[in-house]
Amino acid sequence: MPEPETPETTPQPDPRQRSRFILDRESGRMMRARDALICVFVAVILLLLIEGASIRNTGNKMDEGIQRTMVLAVGEPAGWLADQLPLAAAADKLTAALSPDDDLSGGPGGFNSAPVGGGPTQVAGTGAAVAPITTDAFDPAELGVKPKQLPSLKNLLITGDSLAQPLDVQLARRLAGDGVATTRDVHLGTGISKTDLVDWGLLSGKQVKDEKPDAVIMFMGANEGFPFPAPGGGDVACCSAEWAVTYAQRARSMMDTYRRGGDARVYWLTLPMPRSVPRQKVARAVNAAIEVAAQPYRSQVRILDMNEVFTPGGRYRAAMAVNGRKTLVRRPDGIHLNDAGAGVALDIVLARLRADFASLG
Amino acid sequence: MVFPTVQFAVFFPIVLALSWALMRRQGVWKPFMLAASFLFYAAADPMFCLMLAGMILGNQAAAQLIHRSDDARRRKIIVVVAVAADLITLGVFKYYGFFATEINGLLDKAGLGLPIPLADIVLPVGISFITFQAISYTVDVYRRLVEPATTIDVGLYLSFFPHLVAGPIVRAREFIPQLQAPRDPRKVAVGAGVALILIGLVKKVAIADYLAREIVDPVFGVPQAYSAPDAILASYAYAVQIFCDFSGYTDIAIGLALLMGFVFPQNFDRPYRAASFGEFWQRWHMTLSRFLRDFLYIPLGGNRKGKLKTVRNLMITMLLGGLWHGAAWGFILWGAIHGTALVVEHQFRGKVRLPKWLAWFLVFHIVVLAWIPFRAPDLDLAGSFYSRFLDWGPATLWAAPVVIMTFLVIGLQLLPARPMDALRVRFEQLHPLALGASMACVILLVAATVSSQGVPPFIYFSF
Repeated sequence: MPEPETPETTPQPDPRQRSRFILDRESGRMMRARDALICVFVAVILLLLIEGASIRNTGNKMDEGIQRTMVLAVGEPAGWLADQLPLAAAADKLTAALSPDDDLSGGPGGFNSAPVGGGPTQVAGTGAAVAPITTDAFDPAELGVKPKQLPSLKNLLITGDSLAQPLDVQLARRLAGDGVATTRDVHLGTGISKTDLVDWGLLSGKQVKDEKPDAVIMFMGANEGFPFPAPGGGDVACCSAEWAVTYAQRARSMMDTYRRGGDARVYWLTLPMPRSVPRQKVARAVNAAIEVAAQPYRSQVRILDMNEVFTPGGRYRAAMAVNGRKTLVRRPDGIHLNDAGAGVALDIVLARLRADFASLG
Repeated sequence: MVFPTVQFAVFFPIVLALSWALMRRQGVWKPFMLAASFLFYAAADPMFCLMLAGMILGNQAAAQLIHRSDDARRRKIIVVVAVAADLITLGVFKYYGFFATEINGLLDKAGLGLPIPLADIVLPVGISFITFQAISYTVDVYRRLVEPATTIDVGLYLSFFPHLVAGPIVRAREFIPQLQAPRDPRKVAVGAGVALILIGLVKKVAIADYLAREIVDPVFGVPQAYSAPDAILASYAYAVQIFCDFSGYTDIAIGLALLMGFVFPQNFDRPYRAASFGEFWQRWHMTLSRFLRDFLYIPLGGNRKGKLKTVRNLMITMLLGGLWHGAAWGFILWGAIHGTALVVEHQFRGKVRLPKWLAWFLVFHIVVLAWIPFRAPDLDLAGSFYSRFLDWGPATLWAAPVVIMTFLVIGLQLLPARPMDALRVRFEQLHPLALGASMACVILLVAATVSSQGVPPFIYFSF
């Protein structure tokens, strides 16, 4: 590193290069430890009164464990207290201009507001009338017919949760030379069964309105397994058929939004099996629901089976042969794809895009 | 556990209160603080605690053996074994995958198959910082610069949560003496601590994360999609982002420690005002800089064995300094650029005198350009990023807040320190109630700028 200016004869540090400490400089007054506690607790009390509800919400969103217990132990009473006071609304109003996001946590157009088909919380066996089957339900390739190609891919949207990374950036790089404008809109920590942070019903509509994509790549499912509200109150827990029905309803409404009445193509990637056994249970339900969800729109919605590619037979593996060499394809967390794995997924996505869009050859 | 999170906001006030309540009873305070620090570390993954405990016990055993021995050869063997064990631990967790892939690639090309097994190893958070501090303790005992401490003191030194995951790299002889007696509850730099925490939060959340979101991540992600104006702004913005992200973390760490009565060394001192590379390294990541100087550069011979060996020593130090950041060719190239710059500077010292503004301009821009391979995911993309500088086209990401924020942070470093320091000293002298209220206001404002994605991890967490 920086070369000492003085002759070096021993490993003793040069006293002129000794560490600098923040208190070496002209500083404010020293106080008592009690003052440190007063200062910190004044800040904590003010924040609890104003943001108590946010702390409670954060706790509710966390995975089970000591951290969640700790946050909720503070967040529950603080949330109740904050609910009684008008401070949170006032603070939100004052700081709204600084927020980088639109509110996508629910409201009109979201999963919990506008019923889709039989309604977002519909469960199996409601006796609804049989829906008509249209030509949209058939993938031309499965019928042995050459799929009708769309002329050009100009706007591509790649979206989803953390699973969509690093596929999103790899795809954007690969298509940058083909005149494709790629929008990467990844929402970490979100899910179709989890609307408190981002309601994908609302978000998908906004994405289509803003970007008008010719093609949408969706890769999501790392944060699923949360209960859905049941029609008569209570919850439908993962991963029953009833849970899968609601998941499929929500996924179907998103597919319908993304396909833009047939003008766009949707490429929905199923989940490669995660390493953890409880997560595998969720992944199986999600994959089954995605398959069912796509049925009415098979001519425009392509289901790309990542499970069969990365975890054939539903068995987890961290490495597989890529270009003839055994390569790690999963991240150490046992959920996500690493760069090499995303490269494998990328080739599959690109092959399907090329089949659908004449401009990609 | 990450500093700017709700979890930490719940954890810290409880620990701070209990810490001062127990401070006089060191027999209780030390196990309590050790448990709190392990709890903090376990939040990332409880299994990491085993590695941390192993490093504490291993280095303490080595230090005790070194201290008890008067045989120079035996002392040397023990210190070499201890340092090697620390480095092997670091190597397995951090570099195994990189070297296995690279070596397998070479062997494969030579037709020798794939002899090194692949393994998906989770990198323990902060392992590089923990390893360097462990080495610092054992080697300082070997050099008789510090007496061996008790096991619990060594445990606290290595695990103390404010510096546990991303530094600053505190030397044993700076920290362990602070554990010898209870911290004085009448002399706590509350104002300085609060000021640092707030400055750190603003740097990290309001500046670094904002620039990452608005310009750095898009351009570094897909450089091909952007032209020269965006690439130029993104390279300046990344220089600001990494400074604000890392110095923001260490500001918070130093501030938290001050509130608990402990003093850490400074880690940054307006690095982008440096007019030479030697000066840059006295201002950037100062604790790593002096660690590498004292534990690598000087033991290699420093500048006292002739010109050629000085060049060699500088290059080895900087290449290993680059590799310390991670197992990737981009970090090695970054180290090579800085090493070469230091060598050139050394060769021309006293022979060429540039005007100070020109020296600053050259150093600053070489530093900015060197950050590109450091940030780019691989060398191909770094090359692609550099090629954008030649492709003049529209500026699509030049939003006013991005430009103002980028050049304001750089510009503030060029101004004399005194007016800013005077402002800070005035803030530090506020009444504790006013300090607390200011803290709440700044946290609320900073929290409002957080996107729905939450606060991204500090860049140096992955090192």
